[in-house]
Amino acid sequence: MISLAGRDIMHAWGKFVFTGVGLGLLIGVTLSMAGIYRGMVDDAKVLLDNSGADLWVVQKDTLGPYAESSSIYDDTWRSIRGMPGVERVANITYLTMQVRQGERDVRAMVTGVTPGEAGTPGWPPYLVAGRQITRGHYEAVADIASGFKLGDRIQIRRNHYTVVGLTRRMVSSNGDPMVFIPLKDAQESQFLKDNDAILQQRRRTAENPNFNRPQVPGLLEAVIASQSTNPYVNAVLVQIKSGHNADEVAQSIRRWKRLTVYTRGQMEAILVGKLIATSARQIGMFLVILSIVSSAIVAFIIYTLTLGKIREIAVLKLIGTKNRTIAGLIMQQAIALGLIGFVVGKISATLLMAPFFPKYVLLEPLDSVFGFIAVVVICVLSSIIAIRVALKVDPAEAIGG
Amino acid sequence: MIKRFPIRGRTLALVLVLVPLLALFIYVALRSGPLAPVPVTVTSVEDRAISPALFGIGTIEARYTYRIGPTFAGRIKRLDVHVGDTVKAGQVLGEMDPVDLDERIQGQEAALKRAKALLNEALARQAYAQTQSRRYEQLLEVRAISEETVATKKHELQVAEAGLNAAREELARIQADREALIAQRRNLKLVAPVDGLITARDADPGTTIVAGQAVVELIDPESLWVNVRFDQIHAHGLAAKLPATIVLRSQTVELRTGRVLRVEPLADTVTEETLAKVIFDQLPEPLPPVGELAEVTVALPALPAAPTIPNAAILRRNGGLGVWQIKNGDLRFIPVILGAADLEGNVQVREGLQAGDQVVLYSAKALSARNRIDIVDRIPGVKP
Amino acid sequence: MAGKGIHIEGLKKRYGSGDTAVDALKNVNMQVAPGEVVGLIGPSGSGKSTLLKALGAVIEPTAGRMILGGEVIYDNGWMVKDLRALRRDKIGFVFQAPYLIPFLNVTDNVALLPMLAGIPNAEARSRAVELFKALDVEHRAKAMPSQLSGGEQQRVAIARGLVNHPPVILADEPTAPLDSVRALAVIRILNDMARKLETAIIVVTHDEKIIPTFKRIYHIRDGVTYEEAGEGREFE
Repeated sequence: MISLAGRDIMHAWGKFVFTGVGLGLLIGVTLSMAGIYRGMVDDAKVLLDNSGADLWVVQKDTLGPYAESSSIYDDTWRSIRGMPGVERVANITYLTMQVRQGERDVRAMVTGVTPGEAGTPGWPPYLVAGRQITRGHYEAVADIASGFKLGDRIQIRRNHYTVVGLTRRMVSSNGDPMVFIPLKDAQESQFLKDNDAILQQRRRTAENPNFNRPQVPGLLEAVIASQSTNPYVNAVLVQIKSGHNADEVAQSIRRWKRLTVYTRGQMEAILVGKLIATSARQIGMFLVILSIVSSAIVAFIIYTLTLGKIREIAVLKLIGTKNRTIAGLIMQQAIALGLIGFVVGKISATLLMAPFFPKYVLLEPLDSVFGFIAVVVICVLSSIIAIRVALKVDPAEAIGG
Repeated sequence: MIKRFPIRGRTLALVLVLVPLLALFIYVALRSGPLAPVPVTVTSVEDRAISPALFGIGTIEARYTYRIGPTFAGRIKRLDVHVGDTVKAGQVLGEMDPVDLDERIQGQEAALKRAKALLNEALARQAYAQTQSRRYEQLLEVRAISEETVATKKHELQVAEAGLNAAREELARIQADREALIAQRRNLKLVAPVDGLITARDADPGTTIVAGQAVVELIDPESLWVNVRFDQIHAHGLAAKLPATIVLRSQTVELRTGRVLRVEPLADTVTEETLAKVIFDQLPEPLPPVGELAEVTVALPALPAAPTIPNAAILRRNGGLGVWQIKNGDLRFIPVILGAADLEGNVQVREGLQAGDQVVLYSAKALSARNRIDIVDRIPGVKP
Repeated sequence: MAGKGIHIEGLKKRYGSGDTAVDALKNVNMQVAPGEVVGLIGPSGSGKSTLLKALGAVIEPTAGRMILGGEVIYDNGWMVKDLRALRRDKIGFVFQAPYLIPFLNVTDNVALLPMLAGIPNAEARSRAVELFKALDVEHRAKAMPSQLSGGEQQRVAIARGLVNHPPVILADEPTAPLDSVRALAVIRILNDMARKLETAIIVVTHDEKIIPTFKRIYHIRDGVTYEEAGEGREFE
């Protein structure tokens, strides 16, 4: 027996390939959509991976530091360091703000990292160029997505920083590139907004007669000095000793330090469940719509192709072709169309769409496999209408009249 | 399937379209996602000497600051100097309002005159009493008068002498009182204790101020130094006499040399910083404003050559520091023990690596031992 | 050969029921011997198409008896279960238009039928090629239908009708699109093949050019057949 579907496709392969390419672009968009969602989840995961932490200690009853603002005293780490099972702790600050470089400015998540050596929690775990921060002030490691280059002078709030290293895929859960600067600078930049604001604040303080008392020289200066420091950080990152259970260590910090502590799993649930839930739902909606559109297109194309072959089908039936063979002909064509579409879609998503999309697009092989199965299933389902039409064709139609 | 019937043109075209498509698909499937090799750059461990350095941030401060004000509450009468004026030691900078002090001195002078008059009177009385006493003694020798009369005259002399002493002391007291007032009067003048530069003028004539409140502030410009704060993590090796380079925020291109004068015995417990004073070898001209930010790099003595790697190669895995070593094309995580580091990101390796070893410097993503790697000159996406 | 060929007795076909019932076939009786080619002529609406469809086992008659190739296929009801196989194995169709499958080449168009019957591809193809030799289209065996002329297409269609060696061939206006020379050539081929393969052939036509060639003609009017002797003119 010969493959009727194959022969038909070979006969009209141009039409077939073009239709397949069109469908493929649609499938490419669908795969990219899934990739965008995966990318968002991955953004959240790399954010957690890159912090190198096993536990996040944050302000009591907050979802900080990523999903909600959190601030704790910058000497809290000392007491946490002493808890059993704690190997290493580090303060960290996160604040999304504009980073200026020359004429342009970039929205970035400025991360203040505790000084130390490479491998300290919060430090970028690997670089793509340059070096890690060595000075305690005014050096920055920026993500390549920010567009900064090595040696660039960037301005964050009041201070200038030299870009000494570049990272890749270090982004906030919103996809903003991260810029790592020393902790003290970051604390200052979170607090000292700009010179004008500082001046106004000093003026307000000086105008307050409670603080500016002639009988008490030096009081105003002391008040201003106390206003100009920021003894807070957003979180304390904790690495636990090997052999200790993260949940147990977290529980003991919660109990004795009365702070909120999240483990890696909980943090991931917060980021994925809270931070990107809305976006994920939107993307899910788009996926459903695109799947429906794709299947409608496949159904329509196959239906049209079948209508164009009604007479041939009638002849085939008349000369004794089995229904199964005819259904197979149509279904095989639908699947072939889906295959071409999938191949084109996968290629276009990988080479044409993902690299140029402004957000990170992660195309998981497993997603591609599911996508492939979905495409085949959709094609099979879409061909059912056409098959019904074909099976209803009366062989008598071949005999005129 | 049957033997292919030669539908040459079509088959060829089909092959021309489908085969590249398929090839592209396979390429895409293998070259993206987790199956793709990770681009890495490689560096070799070098034996070299490094010069570690410490980096700190400080502010320009004056070693000696003189805050000049009156010793008691009062009103400023005049103030002759302004911020930026240079003054000499002993120069009068201003004066407090004396209020009734001059009048009180005049009163004391009148009292002085009166005390002098009283002294003269007491002197006269004592001289008379002495004369009388001597005459009556002579008369007693000839027994012209009774002994009792002589005793009376002696007593009168003693009384006159006591009166004279009292008048003298009274004079001394009034004189001292007057001198005290004059000294107070003199103290109303605000005088520069040293040669210096006026840095602040906190009050103007007419202002009433409390005792101890500064009216003007004076610094000795020769004594400018930088009060530097080093993070304690990066303060190892900090000591007096080490050479330092100073960059002022206003003059970032110009490097100034200096040296560490002393490391403060008290560290900042709140900010976890060690404090040190760094002095300029030569004071900048014009003088930098006090309070200006300065970046200070303290050079430590150079260390002997040892295997050195860039700090970008170091990462933490399973709690330990190490590097990815490439041996025969395979990726291995080698734990290392690190030594000194310099500010350019070079770190000496005490244990774990030898010179000549190949280690991964940069990678396009986090590596694991199972990764295939693709050694490149530059990670894709990094602009030169 | 007795019992082979086509025997139709009292075939009736009624469409609809009750008052709106239409009797398309009222009383059809036909006998076609193996190797014989008969004409079936009738005006539009005479029941010609209905008869052809009933013969082709694509519609079910209402009553009567049909014997094709010695097998009773209908006796007031279908006597065979698999009509599709029946059509495939017992009946060859040749249509007004060739209705070749456009995406199969000429050989496969013909070889498809034996393939559907489960005959291996190679054998099916060699059968087709044999027929092509007889029909003088061997040189076009590898062409696509669209590359053939009308006459060639029709000959291929005939080959398709014959390839399974059916005892019966139903030809519906096989010469309509052809000029008289080609039309006569087609009829000659049918005659030749009928003789050679012992096939009973019914040619439905109203083509004046070929009517004189039939030895026997059935006229059908208002669902009733009337037999008539044809001219049986030899052509050449």
